[in-house]
Amino acid sequence: MLRSCVYRLWTPGVLCGPLGGASPPARNSWPLPRSYSSEVAHVDHSLPNPSWSKDMRLIFDQFMKKSEDRSWKRLPSYKFTSSKRLEEAEFRKGETTFYLPFLSGHYRWRSGRAEFDAKPVKEEPLSQARLFPRSLEEGLGFEYAMFHNLVENRTVCILQGGPYLQGIPGFLHGGAIATMIDSTVGMCAFITGGAVMTANLNISFRRPIPLCSVVVINSQLDKIEGRKLFVSCNVQSVDEKTLYSEATSLFVKLDPKKSSP
Amino acid sequence: MIRRSFLGAVRLGQHRVLPGIPQVLPRLSPTSAFGSSTDSLVSRFCPEKTDLKDYALPNASWCPDMLNLYQEFLEKTKTDGWVKLPSFKSNRDHIQGLKLPFGLAVASDKSDWRIFTRCIQEEGQGYEYVIFFHPSKKKSICLFQPGPYLEGPPGFAHGGSLAALMDETFSKTAYLAGEGLFTVSLNIRFKNLIPVGSVAVLNIDVEKIEDQKLYMSCIAQSRDQQTVYAKSSGVFLQLQLEEESSQ
Repeated sequence: MLRSCVYRLWTPGVLCGPLGGASPPARNSWPLPRSYSSEVAHVDHSLPNPSWSKDMRLIFDQFMKKSEDRSWKRLPSYKFTSSKRLEEAEFRKGETTFYLPFLSGHYRWRSGRAEFDAKPVKEEPLSQARLFPRSLEEGLGFEYAMFHNLVENRTVCILQGGPYLQGIPGFLHGGAIATMIDSTVGMCAFITGGAVMTANLNISFRRPIPLCSVVVINSQLDKIEGRKLFVSCNVQSVDEKTLYSEATSLFVKLDPKKSSP
Repeated sequence: MIRRSFLGAVRLGQHRVLPGIPQVLPRLSPTSAFGSSTDSLVSRFCPEKTDLKDYALPNASWCPDMLNLYQEFLEKTKTDGWVKLPSFKSNRDHIQGLKLPFGLAVASDKSDWRIFTRCIQEEGQGYEYVIFFHPSKKKSICLFQPGPYLEGPPGFAHGGSLAALMDETFSKTAYLAGEGLFTVSLNIRFKNLIPVGSVAVLNIDVEKIEDQKLYMSCIAQSRDQQTVYAKSSGVFLQLQLEEESSQ
């Protein structure tokens, strides 16, 4: 299953974003892949933009370099959730298809394999809804990009917390860190386990994170017991010398037979 | 140990390695276990007159359940000793005249910095919430109506948005109950998803104050208490703010 996962993920044409070591151009000048409909431009937010600091661009480039040998993959990330797609999802015989736009992208889980959906499928933001970590304008809230390593089952998120995420003056709000930890460990659980829900989230805060600084959230899948997935993570500075927080989490696979989670 | 190493890191600055030798704590008030009483903290936190905009007030986006519960608790502020907490754009507005201890204070605070739970200011789109605090019982109630910009699963609030509001309510409760300032830990057990546009009621209790830490628990439920959305516990570290020195 793992091998077929890798095959599906790396198949040309399924990918949604740029790969390669060269520093990608600014988002607004990146040409859209051919498979996208010209009616709706879906912007991938996990790419550098003018609000990214030098530190953020440096660490992003480091991970893009790691992606060259295909052990790592950058995960695309979109702003709009789309309730209509979930309604259109059908549970076909012998195959289970979940549309899960909320997990930072339009991913499909089909027959035990994760596919990154290249086709927007008549995409429009039908409701006003926005994926929470993407709900603020450029540079003000969460600026982040996620990378996944399939072999090691690790998801890494590089995060620059903007001025609207303040808690104690000058520092990132604990809840903002909790949101990104939840998103990162959730992505790690999803890629392995398909449709999942957070059951437990347990975070220890060691040091406050200065606002507008860059941190790295390293998550990994620890074990799977039946429908339970145990994922842990830590939040560190880019040079790995400062540990800001640690967290453990439990995710539960959704039952495809039930109509709602 | 956590407290000492944390404060040791604080003294050296955010990006340095932990020292091996434990550091001395900032000066403690000699009179009580910790500085100010809850009543004095509350009266300073809830100014009678202010030009600042209070976001914890009803607006057109509040659903009927939210409005009814708000009225219910507003009545209790007159009879049962509850206090409605104001909610300003930045925590700095809440602690006017006070500042973080030396080593932690940030030199410049840009005027456009905002507290996370007030980051989305369009009415009804993000967080609509109000916190009521009971000084003597050391309890809080938070009424929460998540908007469409807080989505996770389609039609439901992102787990992180509830986690953030729990942290925020713990934070205000910890500050007023005992000058709690920094989150030490947060443990959340999610049970059910909150539909966007509906109301969740968060009940927070301070379980104990020990060893310069406040321990609190929270349960988030639907208005009729038939659905439990999540249960959580939080630990906050006490740290006394300093008066801003007059220049």
